[in-house]
Amino acid sequence: MQEPLNSDLWVDRYGDMLYRYTLVRVKNPDSAEEIVQVTLLAALQSKGSFQGRSTEKSWLFGILKHKILDHFRVLKTQRTYELTPEDWSDPLENAYHSDGHWLEAPKNWDTDPHKAVENKQLVEAMALCMDRLSEKFRSIFVLKEIEGLNSEEICKEMDIKPTNLWVILHRIRNQLRKCLETHHWNLKK
Amino acid sequence: MKSDSLIAKLNTWMIRKLNLTCEDTSPLISELMDHKLPLGKRVRLKFHLAMCTVCSFYQKQLQVIRSLAQKLGGEEASTQQEATLSEQAKTRIKDSLKQSN
Repeated sequence: MQEPLNSDLWVDRYGDMLYRYTLVRVKNPDSAEEIVQVTLLAALQSKGSFQGRSTEKSWLFGILKHKILDHFRVLKTQRTYELTPEDWSDPLENAYHSDGHWLEAPKNWDTDPHKAVENKQLVEAMALCMDRLSEKFRSIFVLKEIEGLNSEEICKEMDIKPTNLWVILHRIRNQLRKCLETHHWNLKK
Repeated sequence: MKSDSLIAKLNTWMIRKLNLTCEDTSPLISELMDHKLPLGKRVRLKFHLAMCTVCSFYQKQLQVIRSLAQKLGGEEASTQQEATLSEQAKTRIKDSLKQSN
């Protein structure tokens, strides 16, 4: 039997979880708090639509996902959300010899994608490196790699052209790998 | 003898045609994470990766970054991290829920 929804307990039961989930996607902690609040208020208003087919928790997460996307849409309209000159500076600029070879060759990280996720320190380093991305880069990265939106959808959500998206994703990945090399692989030596 | 030098010439020509520099390759490796590449680019990328260990490391790094992001973003991860809503935020949210209930 499904427990009836008890909104009095939502904050204590799910507040931190919803907050952390949001904080991975949204750079600003204040915005993340606000999104959690908006989510729970929306949930309260649509309590009637809860069918009991899912758990209370996954129902709330479902609403949260929509609210995060809404947040990205609002961000898009703000001036502070424009790409910064830093975003346009390519960490791979001057990364090659004139003959096209790497100046500083990418290192062997010596891990597989499925092994990497078991490494707690590495996951933490990734969280730190995502924090260093600009807000726009972070949202694009989140939509692509975490939410799994396809390129067309991202271009529409973010108002960018597909060719720009490829360039931007390449830059984001380079920023992240550079940061991870500094904060994870160098420290381990 | 004559055919040998022809083959050698053909080889050099193919390598020049096929081989990309690391600088050309790196954006293609990233693009390949997101969509299928046209045949010509795909073949040249494979050709380069087969010969260039360092670019293969680069490709592996991007794959590691993708799985780390997915791990961090999962609902599961939200039970393992340490960040918490501040007490003020909790009170504020509780109050607003009470008010609109």
